[in-house]
This record gives sequence, C-alpha cells and structure tokens, in this order.
Amino acid sequence: MSAHASTSFDPRKHVGVLAERVTNVSSTDFPGYSPDEDFSWNLAKFKKRLRVQVKRLSSRSIEFDLIGVDASVANALRRILIAEVPAVAVEYVYVWNNTSVMVDEVFSHRLGLLPLNIDPALMEMKASATDTATDRNTIVFKLQVSCTRNAHAPKDSIDPKQLFINSEVLSSHLEWVPQGEQADVFPQLPASTNPNIVLMKLRPGQEIDMELHAIKGVGKDHAKFSAVATASYRLLPQIFLNPTKPVPPHLAEKFAGCFSPGVIRVDPRTKEISIDDEKLRTDSVSREVLRHPEFEGCVQLGRVRDHFIFHIESEGAYEPQRLLLESTRVMRQKIADLKKAAEALMAVNVDDEDVSMADA
Amino acid sequence: MKGAEADLSAATYQIFNETHTLGNALRWMIMKNPKVEFCGYSAPHPSENLIQLRIQMYDGLSSLTALLTALSDLDSLFESIEKAYEASLRDDTYVRWDEKS
Amino acid sequence: MNQQQGPGGGNSSFLPPPRQEMEYLCADCGAKNEIKPREPIRCRECGHRIMYKKRTKRMVQFEAR
Repeated sequence: MSAHASTSFDPRKHVGVLAERVTNVSSTDFPGYSPDEDFSWNLAKFKKRLRVQVKRLSSRSIEFDLIGVDASVANALRRILIAEVPAVAVEYVYVWNNTSVMVDEVFSHRLGLLPLNIDPALMEMKASATDTATDRNTIVFKLQVSCTRNAHAPKDSIDPKQLFINSEVLSSHLEWVPQGEQADVFPQLPASTNPNIVLMKLRPGQEIDMELHAIKGVGKDHAKFSAVATASYRLLPQIFLNPTKPVPPHLAEKFAGCFSPGVIRVDPRTKEISIDDEKLRTDSVSREVLRHPEFEGCVQLGRVRDHFIFHIESEGAYEPQRLLLESTRVMRQKIADLKKAAEALMAVNVDDEDVSMADA
Repeated sequence: MKGAEADLSAATYQIFNETHTLGNALRWMIMKNPKVEFCGYSAPHPSENLIQLRIQMYDGLSSLTALLTALSDLDSLFESIEKAYEASLRDDTYVRWDEKS
Repeated sequence: MNQQQGPGGGNSSFLPPPRQEMEYLCADCGAKNEIKPREPIRCRECGHRIMYKKRTKRMVQFEAR
C-alpha cells in the first residue's frame, strides 16, 4: 500500500478528480507517446508491475485488488463475469395443473429467476435451443404443492401459515428428479441456494403440479444465467495534500468530515492532518472538500489509473474465489478461438479480396 | 474486408460473435506493438454480433502477424493474472468474514 | 376445421360428433355443473349464472423467460 501512495499528482499514473470534471482519463502507455520511454509490450516488465491482492473473502463475495493492468483488461474480466461465465437456471416449465391465482407465464418467469446451487462445470451446454435434452445438459425438478386446511390450527388464529398447510410455495418445495447417472455425478443435492424464497401463495383447494427443466446458459442470453449478483471495480482513490498550504488547525475536523469516516486522521494535539493509507480505499470520493473555499489549494483529489478494486458477489453456484479464474478461462478460450481463425487465415492464399474464415 | 493492402500491411478484420470485451483488450495489446502505425476497433451496429478491427503497420509488415503476436501476448497476460491471483489466494492474509444471505 | 368435416364437405351432410356433456365450474361456489346444449346456464347449487371452463388436462409448456 505505502509503495503505492504518492505525494503529488502524476498525470501518467493518476486520474484527476475535479469539482465538475475528471482529467487524464485515458492511458498513455503506448509506444511513441514519449520519445525517451519504451512502452512496447514486455511480459517480464508487466509481471513485475502486476499485483493481485485478495482483501476480503466470505462465502458469498470476494474483494481483491488488481494492480498494474490496463482498464481494457479489467473491464474485459468484469464484462465476462457478468455476461459470459455460465450458470444453470430453469428454462422450460411443463405445467400439468395450476389452479393458483398466478398465471402460468408469470409463475414460469419467476421460476426461471431462482438461483440454483448446481456447479455449471458438471453440465454441458445445449448446442442449440432445439437440441435434445439429455442427462448431461438438463436437470429436472418436480414442483407439486397443494394447499389444504389445517385441522389442528388454533381456534382463534387468523395466520394463514397456521390455518392452512402449504399456504406458500417455497423454493424448498422443488424436488430434484435425478436422470440417468446424475445421482452419482452431483456431489450436493441440486436445489435453490436459498430455501426460503416465496414463489407464490396458495389457499385451500389450490394446487400446482409442474416439471422444471434447468439448463446451462450465459448471462448475455438472459440475466438469470448470470453467475454473479454484482461484479464491479473502482479505482483506488488518492488524496494529495499540499505541503505548502496545510489545513488550518481550527478547520481540521471540518476537513476530515469532508471524507469518508477514518480516511483523514487528525492529530489530537497538534490538529495536524494525515491520510490513513489503509482506509483510503474506502473513500467515496464525494468531492465535498472541493465545495469549501477555505480548503482551496489545500488538497487535490485523484485516483490511481491502474489500481482496480474488484468486488464480486457470487450468485451461489460458484464459490466466490473461483469466479475470477472462470472469467480468465473464458477470456483465454476466446483468444484461442480467434487465434485458430487467424492462423487459418494466414494459411490461405490471400489476394486482395475479402476472405472469410469460419470463426470457431 | 475492403481497404486492405495486398501485402496485408493494412487491413480490417471482422470478428464475429465478439464484443468490446475482446475488442478493447486486443486493441490495447496491438497498440503496444511499436511496429503498429494504427489500430482501432468498432462495433458497427448493436444488432450485428460482430466487431471490426483495423490494423495499419509500419514498413509494410503483415498486420496478420501483429494480430497473432498480440493474441499470444494477451494470453500470457491473462495467464499471469491467473497465477498472481492463485498465489495471493494461497499465500496472502486476508479478512475472512461470515456473510449472511 | 377441415378435419372435423366429412370428406363430402357439403353443409347438409355435416353432423357434429356426439359430444359428451361439458363440465363447468361455478364462479360463485365452485361446484361442478354439467351443462347440456340449449340448457340455461345456471348453477344447480347456488343459482349463479357465471361459469368457468375447466383447465385442459393436457400438459402445457412454457419458457421461463
């Protein structure tokens, strides 16, 4: 962290944050940009600068820093996480009976959005929508619920949960029907990641009877196939204090109040101001400090252009620490596919007409 | 595509079923090559699932070679990200916390 | 349409197939009612005049989108 903290704004390294605009947004690390520097691609140099640091990990989310890469690379990883890391979701609903108040279409849509705990690596992707369902590409659930009166309900109760049995259809009512050898393949029982999702409400006499087919897909086809709840990054904030114009001691607390809690330290005795490097990453960069004329010239705000603070929340199918590796895997597959096509293009005799190669 | 030199020192490539995800990262890597005079990409229309990549080279060099080099370099870039991430996950100390869901 | 008509196709020779009595559900009390052709539409249990058709017994497929 401290190796990163700079004392002054450097347009090569930093994005400037002004009151009403941002400056120096684009990266300038290209060959020919400046005469005395070599910006050409160098893997060893890149590896030296590259740092990945995991900061926080829970069962549902991960936070890590990706330092030393261009925005295009960080953005590619983020885009893949959202749209191209595969996940499993209900796609087809076969309805035998539904006497509830919710129409079939609406209920089917709700079922599609249910997050499932199935590891997508154990399944194959359907080649097309018309591809036949097999035990390798389809998971089958049964959903059979009917609501009845509860004979043992307390006499003066008005609570539907006591009065009726199955007054709510919950995600835990999904019952997995193993197909073929699936019972041996799946280590944990396929179900929803959260058993307490209310799918709809029933009253006595109403029942539903349906079969659900879950398949593997990607987020760009439908958001229900997205493996992440959120995947985002922000650039590490920087606060540059002006050594020639320190914050007046009587305004120190006000100055600290312009930033997120803990970011600015105020010495209790001298009222001198310093920046907490560990807390700096939590600053919201609200620019509040730029609104006060008394702080003009005291401080400059910025962000480190190649320091990405990633925050990924898993939807439950993947462990959060697996998600980035899935993302790079998808990216490297894309690269390999394009490389194959380009090599094939290289092999054919190219006259100056349009040439096309089947993209893998 | 049209507008390509016979020796491929300048050419536009259409890449199907790809988006800004690959386009921008690849453009950046090609621009890292000092032999490249110009490189740019575009996604011409949202209803067409393709991107167009323009590469112009110095000294009559082949743009296709530059594309292949960039692809290899990009792959090694992501490989080193994978390695660094795995190392951090294994060796670094980080906060483990219990998230209610 | 065409499948229901005989091969002769003439209007005079067309006879509707013998239908079984249709069961309907009363909108008010939910009782099952058989209603024959030309019969007044009226619930036998409560006299309500609105009837619902029963849901098909066949399976229906939907896309969860």
